[in-house]
Order: sequence, then structure tokens, then C-alpha cells
Amino acid sequence: MARKILFNIFAWMVVLMVAFPLFWMLVTSVKPQFELFRRPPSMLPETVTFEHYWRLLSDTNFLGYFWNSVILSTATTFVVVTIATIGAYSLVRFRYRGRETLAFLVLFTYLLPSVVLILPLYLMLVELGLSNTITSLVIAYTTFALPYALWLLRSFMAGIPEDLESAALVDGATRLGAFKDVILPQLLPGIISTALFTFILSWNEYLYALVLVNSDESRPLTTGVMNMLISSFNIEWSLLMAASVMMSVPLIIVFAFLQSYLTRGFGAGGVKG
Amino acid sequence: MADVVLSNVNKVFGTFTAVDGLNLDIRQGEFVSLLGPSGCGKTTTLRMLAGLEFPSGGEIRIGDRMVNDLAPGQRDIAMVFQSYALYPHMSVGQNIAYPLKKRGVAKAERTAMVAKTAEMLQLTPLLNRKPRELSGGQQQRVALGRALVRDPKVFLLDEPLSNLDAKLRGYMRAELIELHQRLGRTMVYVTHDQLEAMTMSDRIAVMESGKLQQFAPPQVVYREPANRFVASFIGTPGMNIVDGELLQENGRWIFQSQGFSVDAPNLGPDAQSGAAAMGIRPEGLSIGTGPIEGVVQLVEQTGHENIVVARVGDGLRMTGRTNPDQPVRAGETIKLSIDANKAHFFAEGATGKRLNKAAATSDGPAKSQSALKEATS
Ligand SMILES: Nc1ncnc2c1ncn2[C@@H]1O[C@H](COP(=O)(O)OP(=O)(O)O)[C@@H](O)[C@H]1O
Ligand SMILES: [Mg+2]
Repeated sequence: MARKILFNIFAWMVVLMVAFPLFWMLVTSVKPQFELFRRPPSMLPETVTFEHYWRLLSDTNFLGYFWNSVILSTATTFVVVTIATIGAYSLVRFRYRGRETLAFLVLFTYLLPSVVLILPLYLMLVELGLSNTITSLVIAYTTFALPYALWLLRSFMAGIPEDLESAALVDGATRLGAFKDVILPQLLPGIISTALFTFILSWNEYLYALVLVNSDESRPLTTGVMNMLISSFNIEWSLLMAASVMMSVPLIIVFAFLQSYLTRGFGAGGVKG
Repeated sequence: MADVVLSNVNKVFGTFTAVDGLNLDIRQGEFVSLLGPSGCGKTTTLRMLAGLEFPSGGEIRIGDRMVNDLAPGQRDIAMVFQSYALYPHMSVGQNIAYPLKKRGVAKAERTAMVAKTAEMLQLTPLLNRKPRELSGGQQQRVALGRALVRDPKVFLLDEPLSNLDAKLRGYMRAELIELHQRLGRTMVYVTHDQLEAMTMSDRIAVMESGKLQQFAPPQVVYREPANRFVASFIGTPGMNIVDGELLQENGRWIFQSQGFSVDAPNLGPDAQSGAAAMGIRPEGLSIGTGPIEGVVQLVEQTGHENIVVARVGDGLRMTGRTNPDQPVRAGETIKLSIDANKAHFFAEGATGKRLNKAAATSDGPAKSQSALKEATS
């Protein structure tokens, strides 16, 4: 009993430690400027204001960056999930020489630190004439999201009994028809987990965005907001916190809707669905 | 008329030969079982018939078409999978309707056909359920329904009863026999259970290590097993098989084993002196009097008979049947005799050929049975 209470206290302390920065972000974003640096700091704001949000939306390019991030993350997710689904199907269902080796090579690329790849990738994208575009980021994010996505979907795919597809073929479906009617619905939890993973990765990515994109039209939220609000002279804390809150909102919404799929997905990828 | 023909069919996976030179000639409306131990290539054979696996060599014909290169959907076959392979995200009704949908049957007609099939298999109250909400037996019937709904030329069934409990299995066996008689369709039934094969089939194809061992009606497989493997695989309790040697004495053949010898009265022209094996079914062994002495190890009472396992010499176990009134106890020493006319003799080796004279009526029952079928269909 005492152990249980102790464990609970410990768990709550961890939760508090993780949640406090988020709480502080939220609080700071609604504090008026004059309350910001008061000592001792006020836990809860005395007056709540949304002026920072208004300023962010009306006076800055926040919405532009936001839009870039949405396009960027959606496009990356779409590309990665499509290729990974087809690739996983091939790795699981078709038998060809070097199939296992191929799967391990893919994993190997994921093990390389992304910093190592950034310069060659940058040079390649410049060669292709894609520097400073959203497309360049979609390509870059695909290179490091795809290997993991492929492995994730491969384990989901391996959990779908081959007999299901055989049955569909005997029942008169074409291979593509069987894929659409039987495999895809079974794969849905896996696809959703993979999509979430890719979307979050692209939404939060900073390093590649910083190196590959230098024009304001193409910047995503991460680098855009930093660039706009942090200069060597001044950090606009209130605006930064308001921006952070608004950056987190889409993820929180997506998470809330899909969390049951996500937990099911990450937990059950390896074993039979 | 031949309906399904496999000519010299091979299947090689890498370096492993799963099916080796298989020849089968299945008549229209016939119920044929592929019987053999696990891993002998039954499923592979069935999948080749279905078009899910392509033969490495040989030819497969269904009806009057060579189907080697036809996709499964074009072969006019239906298959019931060992795992049932029901589509988990579809309801029972949608599962049964799927093959119709893929063949472009209109919605109204589809609904009517599904209803009819569901009625026949007592699935009507379950049509809106998902497969995972059904018991094993119900899932099995849905899998059957999905095969039955479109009246294909040939039914392929891969151990459809193996996941059911014993009682349900007996019931479904009877259902399947009845279904086959009603539909008059060719059925190829894969099983490792010799009882299923014996009770349901017109003919049994016994397989081992990818090779066909015998293809004959159940009675023939039982009475005249083509080789030692078939003899040992068919029948419960199994045939007693004793290693020994054949020798000729004064123009008579004698089989000699450790501790006893028997006459071998009906050997065919293939018989040779030397190492061989004798097989005798439990019912060919009389317990009570005789030249062979054994120690009873085990008595199994089934109610209408007792199964007696005795040790003869060192290490040889012989199984016989006795009347339950005949008192036999474990530990007791008993006398045994072998009815030489019921003994089978096999050449050396695990699949050693049967050496007895061929019986005159060897293919009789099969011909008459299928003639009857053709006349009625
Ligand atoms: N796709 C495959 N790749 C390699 N070996 C296989 C494959 N399918 C079956 N086999 C092998 O072929 C043999 C026969 O298999 P199968 O036809 O399933 O046997 P059964 O149904 O009689 O138990 C087994 O040894 C099995 O391991
Ligand atoms: Mg099998």
C-alpha cells in the first residue's frame, strides 16, 4: 500500500516535471507584457490577454509559416506513407533475391545521424535547382522518415495473414483489388501510426529547415518563428510563447483524435493484429 | 469424364521439392482426399490447383482447360482455407457476397444469393456480425458459405475441420458428405486425418514427402495398401509392421522375424528373398492361442472391444483386438497367432512396395461408385 502511494507520488512528479514547461508556455502567452518579468513571478496571470496572439496573426508572417508547415508536413506524410506502404507490401509478400538484406540496408540508413547527411543532401538539392523550396524539405524529410516508416509498416504487413489475400484472389479479385479490398483495411492502424509519426517529425523538424531553406516564403514554422522573434538583441518572449501554443495545437488535435489508433499501432505492430 | 487432371506436377521451393511428379486424375463430381502427414505437400498441391502457387513443372487441367497460366479468379474454383481467411473488417454477409461482387453480380441478385446460402448453412441470424464475434464452428460455416455461394466447378478444401473440436468435427463431416451429394460437384479435400479421408472420400490420394503413394478408394487403400507407408498411415489402431526376412523353403515362402515365422501364402511375382517387412492389422491377430508368446503391456477399453498391446520378443509391440468379455490384464503372458491370409508383405524401406498378389477386384468399387454418380448427375 505504502509502496503504491510512493509510486503514485513519483509518477505525478514526473508528470509535473514534463508538463510544467507546457503550462508555463501557456501562462506566459496570455500574460500582459508588464507582468512578464515580475519578481517573484506570478504563477497564474492577474489579467489574461490575447494581445500577443492578435499581434502574431496580424503583424507578422506567422500564418504564412503555418501554411508552409501544413503543406510541407502533409506532402511529406503523403509521399512517405504511399511509398512505405507499397515498399512494405513488396518486402513482405514478394520473394526475391536480397529481400532481407534490402530491409536491413534500409534500417541502416535510419541509423546514420542526420547531421552526417545534411551537407551531401544540400549539395544535391542545389544541383537539382530545388534549394529554398518546400519541395526540397519534402525530399529531405522523406529521406529520413521513409526508412522508419517502411520498417513500421513492414511489421504491420507481416501480421496480416497471407491467406486473406489468397482468399480474395480465389474469390475473383485482381492483385490490386485484393490489396485495396483486404490489405489496406487491415493495414489502416499501421498507416495511421506511420502517418502520425511522419507528420509530427516534419512538423517539428528544425535543423534541415534551417540549413536548406533561406527564403522567407518557404520557411516552415520552426525556423520561421525563431527567425522572426529571436534576434541577437531581443527575444520576444510573449510572442514566442503564443506562437509555440499555436504550433502545438494542430498536433494536440490530431493526437486526440487518433490516439487510440496510435497506442494500438505502436503496441501491436510486431504481433498479429 | 475427367474433371481435374494433374500430369507430372512438380513444385520446387529453392532447393526443396515440395511436390514431386504428381499424377492425379479426378473425375467429375468425385470427392477426393489428399491425405498425408504434415509437410507432405498437400496444401502446396491444393494451392497449385487454385492458382495461388505456380507449378515448377507439369500440367494442370480443370474441365477442358489447361489452367497453368490462369489466375485463381479465372479457374472457376472456390477454396476453403484452413485458417478460414474470413475478411475481418467485413460482416458475415459481406464476406459471403464478396466473390459475387468481384464477378459483377448485381446487388439485388447478390443479396438474394447470400440469403439463400446463409439459410442453407443456418447463418441467417449472423449476417450482420463480424467474423471475430463468431465461434469457431460459425466461422467455419461462413468460410463454406463464401465458397458455396457462387456454385463453382471445383471445391478445394484445406483441412476445413481441423480447428474444430471433436464433436463438431464429426457433425460437420456428415454435413459435408451430405453437401457433396446434394451439389454433385467435384471436391478436393486436404486432410491429415485418415478417419476423415476414409469416411468422406470416393478416392484417397495418399501422399508422403511430396510423392503420391496410392490413389484408390478407401476400401482398397485399407485392404491393399500399395506400400508400407500407406499401410502404416491408414487405420486406427495402426497396422502392426514387423521387420524380418523372406525366404523360400521347399517352394513355399516363409517370413521370418525375431522369435517367430509365418507362412507367406499369397506373394506376387515381385517377391524376393531377403530383408522385408510383414504387416498385420489388429483384427488379423488372434489372442488366446498360437505359436507367438507376448507380455501384455496395455489394455485399452473402448466399450465394444478391448485393444491389447503386447510385447513380443525384445522391443516389438503388437496390437490386437479382443472381445471385452475375454479377460486380459496388463502383465499377463498371452499367446498370439497371425492369420497368414490377412498378412501384408512389403519390400525393404519406409515406402517398400507391397509384395502380395494383386487382388482381382482392385479398382472395382471406384468405378461402380463414380458410374453411379455420372448416371445421376
Ligand atoms: N512458400 C514456401 N516456401 C518454401 N517452402 C515451402 C513453401 N510452402 C510450403 N513449403 C514447404 O513445402 C512442404 C510442404 O508444405 P505443405 O504443402 O504446406 O504441406 P502440408 O499441407 O502437407 O502440411 C513443407 O515442408 C513446407 O515447409
Ligand atoms: Mg497444409
